[in-house]
Amino acid sequence: MLSHSRCLTRNFGRSLSAIRQGNNVLARRSTSVLSAIHPITLNNSVKYSPRSSGFQIQYFRTSVAYRDEVITVKTPAFAESVTEGDVRWEKAVGDTVSEDEVVCEIETDKTSVQVPSPAAGVIEELLVPDGGKVEGGTPLFKLKKGAGAPKTAEAPKAEAPAATAPPPPSAAQAPPPPSAVGPIPTTMPPVPPVPAHAMDTKPVSAIKPTAAPAVPTAHAEGVAKAARTESRVKMNRMRLRIAQRLKEAQNTCAMLTTFNEVDMSNITEMRKAYKDAFLKKHNIKLGFMSAFVKAAAQALTDQPAVNAVIDDTTKEIVYRDYVDISVAVATPKGLVVPVIRSVEGMNFADIEKAINLLGEKARKNELAVEDMDGGTFTISNGGVFGSLFGTPIINPPQSAILGMHGIFDRPVAVGGKVEIRPMMYVALTYDHRLIDGREAVTFLRKIKSVVEDPRVLLLDM
Amino acid sequence: MSSQLSRIFSPLRAGNGNQLNRTRSLFFDSANSRAGLVLQSQSTDVYQNLALEDWIDAHVDLQQRSILLLWRNRPVVVIGRHQNPWTECNLSAMRRLGIPLARRRSGGGTVYHDLGNLNMTFFASKKGYDRQRNLKVVTEALRRLRPELAVQSTERFDILLNGHYKISGTASRLSRKSSYHHCTLLHSADRSALSSLLRPSCPHIQSNATPSIPSPVTNLTDHAPSLEWEELLDALVQQYNREFGLSCMSTMVDPTNESSFPGVSNMAAELRSWEWTFGKTPKFSIETQLELMDEQLDARCSASLHMEVKSGRVESCRLDITEDWLPLKLSKQLTDILIGERFCPHRVAASAAELLRPESGRLYRRLHNLCEAVVAVMD
Repeated sequence: MLSHSRCLTRNFGRSLSAIRQGNNVLARRSTSVLSAIHPITLNNSVKYSPRSSGFQIQYFRTSVAYRDEVITVKTPAFAESVTEGDVRWEKAVGDTVSEDEVVCEIETDKTSVQVPSPAAGVIEELLVPDGGKVEGGTPLFKLKKGAGAPKTAEAPKAEAPAATAPPPPSAAQAPPPPSAVGPIPTTMPPVPPVPAHAMDTKPVSAIKPTAAPAVPTAHAEGVAKAARTESRVKMNRMRLRIAQRLKEAQNTCAMLTTFNEVDMSNITEMRKAYKDAFLKKHNIKLGFMSAFVKAAAQALTDQPAVNAVIDDTTKEIVYRDYVDISVAVATPKGLVVPVIRSVEGMNFADIEKAINLLGEKARKNELAVEDMDGGTFTISNGGVFGSLFGTPIINPPQSAILGMHGIFDRPVAVGGKVEIRPMMYVALTYDHRLIDGREAVTFLRKIKSVVEDPRVLLLDM
Repeated sequence: MSSQLSRIFSPLRAGNGNQLNRTRSLFFDSANSRAGLVLQSQSTDVYQNLALEDWIDAHVDLQQRSILLLWRNRPVVVIGRHQNPWTECNLSAMRRLGIPLARRRSGGGTVYHDLGNLNMTFFASKKGYDRQRNLKVVTEALRRLRPELAVQSTERFDILLNGHYKISGTASRLSRKSSYHHCTLLHSADRSALSSLLRPSCPHIQSNATPSIPSPVTNLTDHAPSLEWEELLDALVQQYNREFGLSCMSTMVDPTNESSFPGVSNMAAELRSWEWTFGKTPKFSIETQLELMDEQLDARCSASLHMEVKSGRVESCRLDITEDWLPLKLSKQLTDILIGERFCPHRVAASAAELLRPESGRLYRRLHNLCEAVVAVMD
């Protein structure tokens, strides 16, 4: 009998600790041992209340610390015989605050007075509307004392200011989540397939491909240990719209891509030889874009089908006599795609000036609607991000897009010998309903020949 | 007295010594228990200077000492903590001129700073907070320098010249234990820039943000052309010492020095961010009529626009426009795409360009015209 009871108490003790740890499985198993006796009420922690299907365990916390107390915080007295001020809320209902954290500011007579929280807790109610007038002693807000939301939410926030300070623009650009959880964008990976998306006017809240990856991965290590939670951020309307359009484009166009490679030695040499004189005369730098834009303009006038577009509603092909080229420009606030109008009549200098002007406007936030709308052809430069090879996606309502990639030294066969040349892969994605394979390849080869030897333009070959 | 002086200044005279030790000892030298400090910022970047103010307010024990900080900025418009930049200043003109906008942490109204405007910040404990006393330092200094100028501080903590022209405005901030009171002083600022930039960009805004009260201003040099900048600074430092019973010399500080002021560049970055400058605008709404035009058909139409903007972003947007002018679906698309976007003409223009892509002909023209009208409201 004695041994039996000792055994029982041992089991009892073990199962109790298992229950205290909150492990339901163990509890269920152990309660079956106990049920043989009778339901037991323990004075401190655990109460068993047998129900029809199984056993439920309830926890009662009776310690003082957990009693929630709601206090009303009043407006502090104002200095220098000032009588009233306007309240500006920093925190909202439901926010967790720590002791001394600023809940609101009161503006009195050119002075901004901070009102800190007297204790840690959760804001229960704001008793004055934002901008409302208060006097010294007016009740301001109700605070429920005690621990609020779990601290894991604080950890990523605390890391956020430290880590995102180095790239300050991306701090301003972090996607505006409704409940400011972590800095890691859980929606899309920060580095999109650049040639594909480089065309679209992305909203500010979108990704900064270069800076963003560094920050989230640094966080991933620290925060992953803290919480494996998800966060849901509502898709921005702009992003929704772009997504919808891209999908439509994919569904209507018969999209495919043809590739070629360009030997950049001649153009690099030309640039090196003339860049100082160019800068002196035109006051802007000579880049590679002008060569490609001019080449594209020439090729587009030679192959009007690539400059045309199918009007699906009227089932007509719209041929355009002008060439407007959309060029992707990266600004601190995101990608914008301004348009260079009537490129067919421009030379390299004109094109560089136009690109420069649009870039300046973009940086100064001066781009207007007409700077960004329209365009008959798009050029996207994935090379700035280091891409080697890729398929751009057409930017509707156009019929083709040229993707430039990075310039890398490669061994190539020149005149029967192996030489190292700076090579760039170029890609042309086109709508096969309108443009035939032969036209597309010829188009791309034309661009290649112009960039490889700009003299071709002079001789109209 | 002299031993106290040498204790303050000997670390400074340590030649090419450690800048960190020098500045640290300025603030934390326990020998100077009832002492003060006069600092002059080397930077003319408003964000760095504002961050320095914040740093001093947060990190220096102001129960023991009071500090005077002298600074000036390259051209910038500075709004008060709870103001609305769209009603206070001409943002498009500022953009064109490359003049930035900054929001300070103290209350009060909007000011234009340039290198001809001197800023003074008086740091003290909350008990020692006395704005009239601080302004007395300025008025007494000016009276000693140029007794012929009639300067006087007002109840509203402005300083008037000849009873009429404002030469100084005030703002301050009270934190948990400390306080700072800063004021401007117009020495030789560009008055035409001031008046052209401090006018509202958007006329149709309703908001309860703190309004600025415009006053006629003048420069000290307009009335006392011989007054030099250095002369003015010296006189102010001397008067500060006289008023508070101190004997400090002015020390140059570099607000970008992270080792002397750890954390200051983070503070400056926060002040530079859009979220602070524009995102802290109290909620406001816009209600206006748009005049739409179709040039090709020579037709006109009127539409009403109502927008609610919270934290600088469009919270809700309603556009009432007749169905025959533009299909409801298109105007709805425009309002939808605006929600959640920053209240910024550039962002709206980018969104609008996106919408216009698939359109053509009459719908394109009208939608284009509508988008332009909406962008114009924000500019």
